[in-house]
Amino acid sequence: MTDVHTPRESASGETEATRPFGENETEPDVSGSGATAGWPRWAWRQLTSMRTALVLLFLLALGSVPGSVLPQQGSDPVAVQQYFASHPGLAPWLNRLGLFNVFAAPWFAAIYLLLFTSLVGCVVPRTLRLAGSARTPPPRAPRNLLRLPHSASYASALAPSAAVDAAAAVLGGQRFRLRRPGAGDATFWVSAEKGYLREVGNLLFHLALLGVLVSIAVGGLFGYKADKLLVEGQQFYNNTTALDEFHPGRLVSGSDLAPFRLTLNSFSASYFTTGESRGQPETFHAYVTYSPSLGAPARPYDLQVNHPLSVDSTKVYLIGHGYAPVFKVTNARGQVSYQQATPFIPANTGTMTSDGVVKAPDASLGFIGVFVPTGIMVGGTLESVFPAPDAPAVSLVGYSGNLGMNSGVPQSVFQLDTTGMTKISGSPHLLLPGQTWKLPGGRGSIAFTGYKQWVSLAITYDPGQVPALICGILALVGLLLSFLVRRRRIFVRAVPSGTGSVVTVGGLARTDASGGFEDEFASLAAELAVGGAAGGPASDSREPSNQSETGA
Amino acid sequence: MSVNQALAQVSGDFLIAALVIYSLAVLAFAGDFAFGRPSRAAAGSARDTAEAAARVAELTAVGAAAAGAATGDGGAATGDGGAAVAGGADGAIPPGGAAPAAGLPSRRQSAFRAIWEAGPWVRAAVTLSAIGVVAHLVAVVTRGFAVHRAPWGNMYEFVTALTCVAAIFFGYVVVRYRAWALGVFVMGAVVVALGLAETVIYTAAGPLVPALQSYWLSIHVTAMTLATGIFFVAAVLGIMYLVAERYRARVAAGKAPDGNGLLARIPSSAQLDKLTYRTVVFGFPIWTFGVIAGAIWADQAWGRYWGWDPVETWAFITWVLYACYLHARATAGWRGRRAHYIQLLGFVSLTFNMLVVQIFITGMHSYAGVH
Repeated sequence: MTDVHTPRESASGETEATRPFGENETEPDVSGSGATAGWPRWAWRQLTSMRTALVLLFLLALGSVPGSVLPQQGSDPVAVQQYFASHPGLAPWLNRLGLFNVFAAPWFAAIYLLLFTSLVGCVVPRTLRLAGSARTPPPRAPRNLLRLPHSASYASALAPSAAVDAAAAVLGGQRFRLRRPGAGDATFWVSAEKGYLREVGNLLFHLALLGVLVSIAVGGLFGYKADKLLVEGQQFYNNTTALDEFHPGRLVSGSDLAPFRLTLNSFSASYFTTGESRGQPETFHAYVTYSPSLGAPARPYDLQVNHPLSVDSTKVYLIGHGYAPVFKVTNARGQVSYQQATPFIPANTGTMTSDGVVKAPDASLGFIGVFVPTGIMVGGTLESVFPAPDAPAVSLVGYSGNLGMNSGVPQSVFQLDTTGMTKISGSPHLLLPGQTWKLPGGRGSIAFTGYKQWVSLAITYDPGQVPALICGILALVGLLLSFLVRRRRIFVRAVPSGTGSVVTVGGLARTDASGGFEDEFASLAAELAVGGAAGGPASDSREPSNQSETGA
Repeated sequence: MSVNQALAQVSGDFLIAALVIYSLAVLAFAGDFAFGRPSRAAAGSARDTAEAAARVAELTAVGAAAAGAATGDGGAATGDGGAAVAGGADGAIPPGGAAPAAGLPSRRQSAFRAIWEAGPWVRAAVTLSAIGVVAHLVAVVTRGFAVHRAPWGNMYEFVTALTCVAAIFFGYVVVRYRAWALGVFVMGAVVVALGLAETVIYTAAGPLVPALQSYWLSIHVTAMTLATGIFFVAAVLGIMYLVAERYRARVAAGKAPDGNGLLARIPSSAQLDKLTYRTVVFGFPIWTFGVIAGAIWADQAWGRYWGWDPVETWAFITWVLYACYLHARATAGWRGRRAHYIQLLGFVSLTFNMLVVQIFITGMHSYAGVH
């Protein structure tokens, strides 16, 4: 994960300047000398090598692909069931490989855990090296600065030592770290280095990614996600029995839920009525009241898509909506055995044609129905032409007999098991609001008395969310630092020339990711020339040439 | 708010105009390629080199003479010094193409003068491209005013905006690096993408569904548009690199003649490599920001910041592949051709996400509006 593992060892004076940050770092020699230290060391070196990190990164990308191509248990379990039904031979094998739950599969976890281990193995030694390099001075100036990628020279009226002093003052003023010749060195030079923030940024980026992973784990352990379908006029308490679906984190118990109460007063949707976007939803409003805790006063809230409700650190989202026709079913003796709003599930979100069932076990009656908000008859079948309830209607098929609801086998409220039942009439029966269908044979009746709307809510709590965001921002900051800041070295040497001196300046930048060192070097060299020639008539502000471009 | 159809019409007309002008620009770029001044790039860099050497000599001589004059000392020694420094300058040419500063053109000469001097074909091509960009920008902005929102709410608008980013970014590359030799390729790709947007995925101006009615649309999708436009340019540069590198290798092996043919016109593989890298370095943080902004928006709209929705998964794959490229370029044995293959794979994944996943795979991001 890093671009420096083991700096190339080189004792040559010319390359000393470039040594700790040359571009050609080589991999540690993993085949030879490492063997003497035993295979764990060898394995560790292999794991923390850049090649391994690259391969793991590749595997991470590759491993994610099936997660987007195959249906996933986490996001769409129904689609997984359908896949099993349509590919009975293949599906069990894919399932064995965890391909229906890729992002929770052990092999996927193995990839990213190895990757992060590799990253830690790289980042920790680097942190130590950074701390070390912040204390050690820059390397000695190489003998021939003109061999460096960037160089310039100028004449100074000052003696070599004074010219170097002047250059050191300019560089020091720009917060370069300096190194001067030690005792016994008869030459005149100064080495300067700057840009340690690049390394800091690089480390910050990788550590922040680790932080994102930890935050996701925290959310997975301590957070929860729940769903609740609520019809207008209904209320619910946020506890495990009231929720339709509850997916707790591994360390969450039912008593950890925020104890709020929420009532759906009304729901309204508006749709575009003209033009090409006719029928497209324009706004959704769920008008709710909620009490943050038991006994607290109720507060109103206009819940919309993109505007979740926050109660403490739990959030409530508007995820879906639909119609709930209200039915009244009477049995053969005229007693009301069923009277309630029955949520129907949209089969077509464009027209809101919705499917549902009515189960009245006390009357031994069941109905499979279709609700249309704006219905018209097309060739004998009922179709919806608009999602708003402009002309609502239901079409029902009736069944009589035992609904099997006492057998102990759990049933979906959206499905009718007709195996033990007999169909009442041939064709579906159409009802408009207020109409009643008297069932043949004195079996009873069903009345379509009106409709309500329902919303589906997602209730989530994720304590890893804010840390993940902070780590994400830190990663971005680190990335920008490592791209924008360049670690660079400037060397200045002066040799006597007459009573003055000739000064050469050399510059070297590590991976200059965003470019621009040429320009920085040119202006810095110009500044040095002006500063170094101070007092002399040569101080007319001529720009020193930047020979870096002669390599074109 | 309803759509201003008249303004939407203006936007559509400007986009057609931009497409036509871009096409003419591509023809002009191609004309430069076919009939323009031969070995222009080589001559230019030779001139730069000569200029630089002359400056060194001049500067040293002046400085030395001045120093000499100031002290009244003889000129012979300083003359030697000057010669030595100038000689050093010649020796300073970095060895091999791997040196960090293997010469992208400098800005010393005004970019506009350079374009003017590059001949009538380049002049015409750059001028046409600039006019095209203006028309393109007008099209994007008027579309935004027509629909009262950021004009990237469906795939057609997204491609329109990202090609605009690519064209503008290429303009920057031309001014900064004099890389008009790449015009026929970059602008050609822009024309193809824009043409496909206009014909295959055209979507009439319309309002947004509630899920997209958020200021995060402007933040998340803007970042994704910018990054995609920049990666688009990087991909074209990467392909150019592979072509140039193959040519360089053939020349080095003696299988192809040096200095003539169309391939000698495009920048060297070392320059293209560096330019590609800087382009990706520019795009990568924007993509990262776009993914983070998308996660925040997903949390606002859907109640989770990351859910491995197909589009999210492919954005992640794209991010990982570009991260691979950035690391590969710093790893011995991976830089060069292999790194560029990874970079291009990243762009393939980005394009796959945009054109296949968003349109054909059902997920929470199914907003492409393509029927």
